[in-house]
Amino acid sequence: MYAQFFGSYLLSKNAVTPQQLTEAISHLSDSHIRVGTLAMHKGYMTAKEVDEVCFLQTREDKHFGQIALERNYLFEDQLNELLKSQSPDYLLLGQNLVDMGALTNSQLETLLVGYQNDNKIDESTSNDDIPEKTTNLVKNFFYQAGKQVSENLITYMDLLFNNLVRFIGGDFTPLTPVFTSEYDTNYAITQRLTGVLPIHTCIDMESEAAVEFASRYAQMKFDRFDEYVKASLEDFLNLHNGLFSVNMSNTYSTEAELAPPEYIDHESIQLSEDAFVVPVIYPFGTVYLILSPDKS
Amino acid sequence: MKENAKILIGDDSILARKQLKDVVTRYIKNPVFIEATNGKEALEKYKQEQPDLTFLDIVMPVRDGILATIEITKQYKDARIVIVSSVGTKNQLRAAIEAGALDFVQKPVRDDLMEQILEKYLGDD
Repeated sequence: MYAQFFGSYLLSKNAVTPQQLTEAISHLSDSHIRVGTLAMHKGYMTAKEVDEVCFLQTREDKHFGQIALERNYLFEDQLNELLKSQSPDYLLLGQNLVDMGALTNSQLETLLVGYQNDNKIDESTSNDDIPEKTTNLVKNFFYQAGKQVSENLITYMDLLFNNLVRFIGGDFTPLTPVFTSEYDTNYAITQRLTGVLPIHTCIDMESEAAVEFASRYAQMKFDRFDEYVKASLEDFLNLHNGLFSVNMSNTYSTEAELAPPEYIDHESIQLSEDAFVVPVIYPFGTVYLILSPDKS
Repeated sequence: MKENAKILIGDDSILARKQLKDVVTRYIKNPVFIEATNGKEALEKYKQEQPDLTFLDIVMPVRDGILATIEITKQYKDARIVIVSSVGTKNQLRAAIEAGALDFVQKPVRDDLMEQILEKYLGDD
């Protein structure tokens, strides 16, 4: 997530164009070596164990290393060694931008320092796979936008960004949240949560973006906006909200209740006064995350 | 495993129904699928078809999977119902079992788990 928020920082400083960023971030997965791959390479884990841990990550909001430790697939010193040998994603993103000619090394240096200072990042905390929460990045993301957001909502957004990385892909950049009381949807899925965090949640996108989003999520190739695409979007939101409820239940023994997801297209929706929209740019289009907290 | 088994799938997501059908078809020969998109419809289809095995999602419109389970098991004591849901909290799990479900499977459904479930409830004696 450090790379995604570094991208957001670069845009806010007008250091690169969205096109340059999209290109640089789409090459990230080529250069990023995952902990599982490193563990296999070192002979610490078998492919079967790596597959199992990856699967378990769809059940629980935990890092690869945490699950591997719990299952005794890795020793702690082995995990630390693997994490140290990984380069932070946001450095790779910066390097890609230099390689493309979008930034010079000295521009990158200044921007890196600024980003690290803004987010209080140091060498030891800049790796997504370290069981160090990315919550602070998310908190700062809203702080920079000039908005106080509740702790539960930060936790919610942190999980949402992480689930985008997990289920759709990490090649995105979140843009500054927009605070608004009304929103005109394209093709949108909404789901209402009650209980620990009373909120209307919504994801919205254009039809072409929806087709690609769904293809990635369901790991099937869709070529037009149909029932399956709609259902994939609903599934993603429902799975994410379900994971949030499981997390809350495990951490605070309090749950979020979920209403069934609903599909709407081209409707204007009224939002509460604390509502916001986070546009998230993917190479295939923009995904809008709309969150509207209900008065409790 | 039992051939031509009649399997009721209650889930409002066409994708989830398809994915479940795909997994089941890998282990069961010529299954007969009956589909419902909410808990109320699931109860109606259950009455008409009396399936060998029923899969129900929890979060569904009109009537949720837990309520549907209660209603089905009230009328059909030997109904074999498995809850399939992405909301795997302890409360939900408890609610499902108290409602009369025999098992709880968390989404996304893993092949080997589904094989175990099918073996358990539709296996040859």
